[in-house]
Amino acid sequence: MAELVQENWVVLVLALLVGLFVAWWVFVASRRTRVEIQRGDEGPAKRNQALIDAAPVARAVDIPPPTPMGLAGVGEAVQAAAEPVHAAAPSGDDLTRIKGLGPKLADQLRGLGVTSFAQIAAWDDAEIDRIDAQLGRFQGRIRRDDWPAQANLLAAGDTEGYEAKFGKL
Amino acid sequence: MPIWLELLVLMLLAYMAGLAIGWAIWGHGSVENDGNG
Repeated sequence: MAELVQENWVVLVLALLVGLFVAWWVFVASRRTRVEIQRGDEGPAKRNQALIDAAPVARAVDIPPPTPMGLAGVGEAVQAAAEPVHAAAPSGDDLTRIKGLGPKLADQLRGLGVTSFAQIAAWDDAEIDRIDAQLGRFQGRIRRDDWPAQANLLAAGDTEGYEAKFGKL
Repeated sequence: MPIWLELLVLMLLAYMAGLAIGWAIWGHGSVENDGNG
């Protein structure tokens, strides 16, 4: 046995290396999902006050308690459940319809109090400068994509005019 | 036992030893001490 090992140690070392490589592949290289733990320098996550303040989407339905009459009251319960629930209408317009304005920018604008096309359409140069300065890496987008003109057409519901000037919605 | 079989067994053992060493080095896959990034 010892002789065999001595004579073939190169092969055995190769086998060992192959095993090592397979283990490395299994445990390191093929592990595509990585979990990154962010050591928070930013403090705890902020609560979403808008979500807390929003009216509940669904409202409780009063279901009459069962009565000795058997199924009496079921009709009312079904009727109550079938009534459309009036969810709180989202305030403002979908700003992401403006070309060059994505969800992140829409969030930023919402944070700045801009929620409707009419507001954007009414911006003058000074206002554009003021908002633009707060858009971080998106600075310059307002004029580049002419948000006020887009918003003006969108606020007026002039889809044809919009598509003629800015392309398909 | 023929010699090729002995050699095969030894190679398998070496291969498994390599796997074991690799597991010892990289196989502790918990999030905390996954020191590879």
